[in-house]
Order: sequence, then C-alpha cells, then structure tokens
Amino acid sequence: MEETSDHPNPTTDTPGTTPEPDLKTMRSSKPGLKRLLITTTVLFSFLSGLPFLWKSVEIYRSQLPFHDIDSLSDQVKSAPLRFPCTFHAVFVGFGSNDPDQLRSEIQDGVNQLTGESSQCGSCNVSISVTVQSPDELCSETFPSTCSYRCGVIKRDSFGRGLDDAVDESLDDVFSGCSGGIGKMYSVVVVNKENGDEVKAVVGKRRHAWIVGSGLEERFGEVVGRVSEVFVKVFMNGGREEGDSIRGEFMPVGSDGRLVLSFSLLNSNPRDWIYDWDFQRIDEALLAPVTKALAPIANISVESQVLYHTPKSSFSSWDEKLQSYIFRTSDLPFFVNSNEWHLDTSAGASGRSKILQFVVYIPSGKECPLHLQLPNEEISKTNGFISPMWGGVIVWNPRSCDKDSESPSTNTISPQDLEKIVEVFLGQFRQLFGFKSEATYTRELGSYKILPSERGFTKWELDVLSRKHTCFNLHSCATTLGSLSRLVQSLPRMIIKDEIGEQVKYSLKAAKLAQSNASLGGYSSSASSSREARSLAENAFFHPSIMSVSYFSYEHCFAVYSPFFLPVAGHVVLAALREWRRYKQEKAKYLTWLTRKQAA
Amino acid sequence: MKNLTLVVMLLCYSFASSSGDSTIHTNNWAVLVCTSRFWFNYRHMANTLSLYRTVKRLGIPDERIILMLADDMACNSRNQYPAQVFNNENHQINLYGDNVEVDYRGYEVTVENFLRVLTGRHENAVPRSKRLLSDEGSHILLYMTGHGGDEFLKFQDAEELQSHDLADAVKQMKEKRRFKELLIMVDTCQAATLFNQLQSPGVLAIGSSLKGENSYSHHLDSDIGVSVVDRFTYYTLAFFERLNIYDNASLNSLFRSYDPRQLMSTAYYRTDLYQPHLSEVPVTNFFGSVMETIHTDSAYHAFSSRISNSKIKSDTPFNQPFNQLSEQDVKEDLQNTNNQNDELKTEKQKCPYSEMRADLHEKLKKIENVDTMVNLSIAVMILVVMVSSSLL
Repeated sequence: MEETSDHPNPTTDTPGTTPEPDLKTMRSSKPGLKRLLITTTVLFSFLSGLPFLWKSVEIYRSQLPFHDIDSLSDQVKSAPLRFPCTFHAVFVGFGSNDPDQLRSEIQDGVNQLTGESSQCGSCNVSISVTVQSPDELCSETFPSTCSYRCGVIKRDSFGRGLDDAVDESLDDVFSGCSGGIGKMYSVVVVNKENGDEVKAVVGKRRHAWIVGSGLEERFGEVVGRVSEVFVKVFMNGGREEGDSIRGEFMPVGSDGRLVLSFSLLNSNPRDWIYDWDFQRIDEALLAPVTKALAPIANISVESQVLYHTPKSSFSSWDEKLQSYIFRTSDLPFFVNSNEWHLDTSAGASGRSKILQFVVYIPSGKECPLHLQLPNEEISKTNGFISPMWGGVIVWNPRSCDKDSESPSTNTISPQDLEKIVEVFLGQFRQLFGFKSEATYTRELGSYKILPSERGFTKWELDVLSRKHTCFNLHSCATTLGSLSRLVQSLPRMIIKDEIGEQVKYSLKAAKLAQSNASLGGYSSSASSSREARSLAENAFFHPSIMSVSYFSYEHCFAVYSPFFLPVAGHVVLAALREWRRYKQEKAKYLTWLTRKQAA
Repeated sequence: MKNLTLVVMLLCYSFASSSGDSTIHTNNWAVLVCTSRFWFNYRHMANTLSLYRTVKRLGIPDERIILMLADDMACNSRNQYPAQVFNNENHQINLYGDNVEVDYRGYEVTVENFLRVLTGRHENAVPRSKRLLSDEGSHILLYMTGHGGDEFLKFQDAEELQSHDLADAVKQMKEKRRFKELLIMVDTCQAATLFNQLQSPGVLAIGSSLKGENSYSHHLDSDIGVSVVDRFTYYTLAFFERLNIYDNASLNSLFRSYDPRQLMSTAYYRTDLYQPHLSEVPVTNFFGSVMETIHTDSAYHAFSSRISNSKIKSDTPFNQPFNQLSEQDVKEDLQNTNNQNDELKTEKQKCPYSEMRADLHEKLKKIENVDTMVNLSIAVMILVVMVSSSLL
C-alpha cells in the first residue's frame, strides 16, 4: 500500500515557467511528523511497559538473613557454649584449714579433670569454700555466695539415718542459698570423730556428701574426691564420654516431641493371656518423669496389648538353671519385626521420635526365659535396649504351669508392674546416655547415687539440659546453614514467606537460648534451643522447596515469547520503516528547496 | 603448653565435626521403587516384590520399608492367577502372599513423590508410613527398576528422573544427615549412567548394565504370558536365597557373583565414594536388620527406696509424694508452666461461678437414673409451655 496522497498526478503539466520537479527526488511540501509520531509512540509504550512485565514475572523470594545464619554457624562452631555453675564445698570438723587454700586446691583438681579443651555444655566454674571447725566457727572464702548458717550441720549427728532423710535435711540447709548465676552444687565433707569408713553419697537434688573419720589426715584424697564429684558427677553426669555429643543418645524428635509407646506382648495367648492396668501406672509413676523432662522434650505416652507375637530368635533349655536361656548374641535377632506390629502410633506426627518399650511374655514352651550374659551370669533385669529404638523386657509369669483347658486371663499385679516400671526407667535412662544403676565408681572410690522418683535427679536433668541445648543449637545452625546454601544455589526457586518467618523466629530462639545459657538458666535455654531446632527443621523441610518445581530462564522465555515476539517485531519494524521514510522525504524536500533557491 | 592445647583443641574439633565416622549404625531402611506401568512390565513388579520379600525375610520390618509400585499386577484383569505374583515359571513362591504393605501405589509413584520421600519434604498430612524417617545412623538400600536410558529413568511412561536430580537429592540427604551409608541398586537398561553424577560420600552404587548395554529379562513364563523376572534381580535373589539372618556374607561376594555372560550385560559398581572395604561389609548391613543392643544392667530402684522412706504414709505403691514434689517445683524459678498451671488451679477455686458449676456437676454425677430425670424435665417443660400459651 503505497502512499498516494503526496504523489500528484504525474501527467498534469503545469504550464508555468519553472521546469517540472522530479518527484522521485523532490517534494514541494514539508513532510509531516504524524506517521512517525504514531509509530514511535506505540514503540515507546511497549518499551515503557517492559519493566512492569519484568517485575510481574519475577520469582518471589522471601529475603532470608544469610548473614545472621552464617554468624550463628560460626558462633556455634568456634565458641562452644559454656554454662555458669557454682560449686560450693563445706568442710565440717576440719580445724586447721584455710578456705582460700582449699579453694585453689579444688580449682587445680577441677582443672586437671576437665583438661584443657572446653567442649560444649561444660561449666564455667566458680568455687567457694566454707570451713567449719570442730568448735563450730566458720570461715569462708570471699566473696561469699551462700549464706550458710554456721553450725547447722552437726558433726556428730550427721549421716545417721537413711540417706533419703539426710538428703532432705541438706536441702533444707542449702535452700536459702540462691547462689550466684547458674545453679549451685554443693559437697559437704564431714570429718567425724569416731571411726566410720568413708562413705560418699550423691543426693537427688544438687548436694553430695562425704562422711568419714580421720579425713583431715588424708587431705589430698579428700580434695581429689571433692573435685571428682564436681567434675565427673555434677558436670558430666556420670557419663563416660564427655567429649562429643553423640546423636544416638538424644532420642528427641526434630519437632521436640517424643512418644513412648508401651506394648505388652503375649507371645502365645493359647497358653496364658496377660493384661495390665496401664492407666494407673501412667498417672502415678510415669507422669512425674514426663513432667521432669518437659524442658527437654514434649513427651506423650501410649500403650497397647498385642497377641500372637513370637520372637524370632531361639532359646535353649539349661538343666542346671532349670530355665530356658537366650544369650546376648541372640539379642540383635530377638525383635521379630514381621509379627510384632509395634508402630501403630496414631499420636505421633511425622517428625516426632517414637521409642518402643516392649514387655514380652514368653509362651508355655519357653517358660521361664532368662537372659544369660557372656560371663555366665543370669541377667537381673532380663532386658536390653537398642539405641534410638527402645527397649525390651522379658517378664516371666509367676508359675509356668498352664491350665490344660482354657487359657487363663490374668492381670499383672501392681507390685510386678512396679518392678517392670523400674526396669523401664533404667532403660529410659540408658537411652538418654546415663547408666541404669545407682552407683558410680572411679579410681578414688565409689559413690552411691540416690535414685529419684522422677527417673532423673535434678543434677542429671541439668546435665541433660546442657547437653541437649548444645546439640539442638548445633543442629539448628547446621540446618539453617544447609538451607541458606541450598537457597543460594537455586536462584530461581520460590521461597515463601512462611520459610522466611520460620528462619527469623528460629534465629531469635537460638539467640535467646544462648543468652539464657550465659545467665545460667539451664531448662529455659533447653526449651528455647528445642524451639529453635524445630523451627529450623520446619523451614528446611518445607514442602515447597522442591528442585523440580522452579522456573528456569528457558521456561520463562518459552512461555512469553509467543505472545510478545511477533507483535514486538512488527512494531519495531514499522517504527524503523517510518523513520527511514521520514528521512528520505526530508532529503527530498531539502533538494527541492535548494533547487528553488538556485532557480 | 600452648601447642599442646592447640593440638588438643584441633583434635576435639575434628572429632566433633567428623560425625560420619563416629555415629553408630542404628537401623536399616529400604526404599524399593518400581516405575513401570502396564501388563507387559510384569517383570519389574516381580523384581521389586522379590526384593521386598528378601529384605523382610532378613529382618527389616515394614515400618522401615517404603515400597512404591506403579501398577497393580496381582489384581490386573489379565492375570491368570488373581492375587498372585510370581517371579519364576515354577510358581513356587507367591510374592504377593501375606503381609505385603505397599506405601505408594499406582499414580502416586511420581518423580516428585520419589524425591519427596528421599529428601523428606512432605506435606504435613502425609502419614508416618509414607515417610523415610531415617536418622544419621541409618543404612539405606535404594532399589530402582523399570525402563531407563542414558542418565535417566522413566517413571510411569510420562516423566523421567534424571541423574542430576538423583544426585541432588542424595546431596541434600547427606547435608541433612539422613543416612550413614546408602546402597543404590538399579536394574534398568544403561543403569550405570544413572549414578554418574553422584558426589556425596558414603554412597555405594551398582547398576545392572553399562552405557550402551541393555538389561535383559531372564525367562518367559508361558502360563502368564510375559517375562517374570530380570536377569540381574534373578541372580541377586539366587544369592540371597542361600542366606539367613545369621550369615555374614560380604558385599564383595555379592558383587562378584554377577557373571557378565549370564547377565548378558556388565554389572558395574562404583565404590569411589564408599570408604569401607567391600570384603569387610556384611550384606546384612543393608539387606537385613541387625540391631545394636545394649544389656540393661540393673533396674532403677526409684520406688523401692520410696517405700522405705518414712515420709510415706500409705502402703499401696500408688500413693505417691507427687503433691510434695509439685510443691517443691513451685519454688523452682524455671518451671514456668508448672507455675501457670498451679495459679490457674487456685484461681478456679476462687471463682464462685465455676464452684457452682463444679457442685452441680458432682450432684448430677451422683444421680443414678438420669433418664427418668430427663423425661421428667421434658414433661415439666411441655407443661410450662402449655400453661404459658393458654395464658396468652
């Protein structure tokens, strides 16, 4: 479609004086700008709309605080978390000792036992010593953190009676002490006059005592035992490996929940059927344990009774012991996973940890069933654990004779149930890394540890809180670090707001845990670190972070080019063409002007 | 002295960070995936079910097996033997007999779900039986069978799993410490290319054929009408049928048992990412379940000491000093929730309205015949309505 408007009829001849202008190279009127204006306006509108288009197809990525995540990782790795602890030693009946010298000796002993390295969860110790002479005069180190009323502990009457009573009375003595920062652990050393041999007991709360006679002579040994109590018992919890924090003794799920699933297995109900009143033991015996561990894990309990559940290992009859024997080498094959349908938990969500506790009642063909240890002894508990899985207890019925006709239905008596729960508590402690027994033996001597109805003594709970805080913070830092690396490696992946918020709250909880730890609040730091870990795991495992579902540049291009390329091509070409035409017409007009002037 | 402390600190640091060496082996998991649909791919289903049966027989429980079957052969209308799946023409073993728990079936077997299982990124409502709940001490066996090619595996005839997707998922699993060791077995054509891009440590991979080679089926069952098992899986099963849970044959003997002439392809395995020596690793590390066990030495005598305690008033073991304990807890400054609960309880006792309600509730509980009382009250209500309406 050629322009016809500005081509005058070439056949008309104006009879005039000037020669006819050559229309291919000249034109008489100035070329208009309208056409150019229209096409360039359209092109311009396209160009101005381009930034809006770009913004609208931008991938929505919530801003993650990468810098904060990196600093948290660095902090956790480089500066292991240490908690403030106060150690207070009271020496009763020691005449000639200077408290400051005693303090430095105990400090040396403590330093020697902790070694040079500082691992996460250990204590920043501050030691204070009080010496009470036989005539009830006290001297203590300065500054005195504890208002121990002099003369409350009587040298002669101390230690008489049951250990539990002594523990209660010590608690009354030290209950006025609020300590400095952190919890205060105290050891009372009583030097009696008349001869008793040395006895060392660690109580249920945060006190221990060493009672004996003639202790003033064996002074170095006493100081050594005091430092041992402080470091090995109160700081490390009586656990052998104080070094690395092993994840297989931390059975808490990543959402901070733990489900204890109890199963009573009747292996052959044709012989006998046993039932238990689980409700009562849950309310009476398990509830204190659950409450005590509340800062560390949110524990829920469920139970079931199963029938027809034989075990998959074999046992042999032992004539001498008059019972069926299975050995520790059979233990890995004991759990019959084909027939034991244990994991039927309805209450556990995806990221909680379930611990299975199984009470196995053998059939008539294998009754009684005992576990023989490698040293030929019979096990006292008939039970074993598997770390991160749970524990099994084999319970033999009272009499192995069965009624010939129908199977008898019995209920396990409360006394037997209590014994079973005691074994279970031992197993539960083992799963958390403690020992199930109540003594602790070192080179200098053994310590009797009083068991607590809550499954863990207060100082053991402190150790657990400290270790779990460390583990949770470490896990939180590594998870957030992996998340930030993942997000940065996929620049076109959508990051939802939810993830950004969870990361933010997780960092906040981690900071709170660190500050609580430095202030000495063990359980509050344990619960905030648990929260930090669970939020970090929620962010990392958010279902929208799937690498198959992000938009690559090729995808974007392939979607939008069929819309915009053809139209854009036309618009740009039209503008270019108009521009070229305008220049041509302008040149033509200029030549006509010059011709006119020349003529 | 300073050097010593430095060395000790370095040792401790390296000890803490090298977690792979120090974690103990806690449990075994198996993820068995069959990716093909349609009746003529019967053999892939039979492969997966045979391995499922083997792994269960050697001790891995259903709760630690994720079985993904892309189609249903047992109840297929073309199956001459309904509800039965065989992997041999002698029909001796019914693979679909009892206790088969399929976690992902039919169209749920997609690349996305497979990657979600591996990385653990599920929606909140996904049940536990469909999740891979492994921890840092787990050994995972990942078996995949179907149709594959150069660096891909075909899922459901509609999509593909590429080797870099698999490598990426394994890398994320390693970062999140979801396994201690991983054994990948692939039985497809050109299987060895699928794990070309793996780089995470602790991974051992074996494929049934090299690039450019096909993997063949073993034999045709003329009764059922299709091939019932693939060669690689057939010889793997032949190895395992000789074992029980007490054996400790090594992985090396398994890998060396594959004969290229019988397989008609080269079974290639990749050990550069796997540190332990294959001759020292028993097959039950991956294919069976051997639990770490620790004997419980003694019971924790929390209650026998309590009974002897003079503070206990009653004889029955369930009367406990629970109340005493909770009083002492209130003194603790950190049992916050405890404080709140106690405060709430005391507040409720002070409020007269809830006292009244509690009294009423108790009285109602004591009434024995609730039904007659309800009937009586309904009759009274009707009477009141009648009287009031007659007054209007």
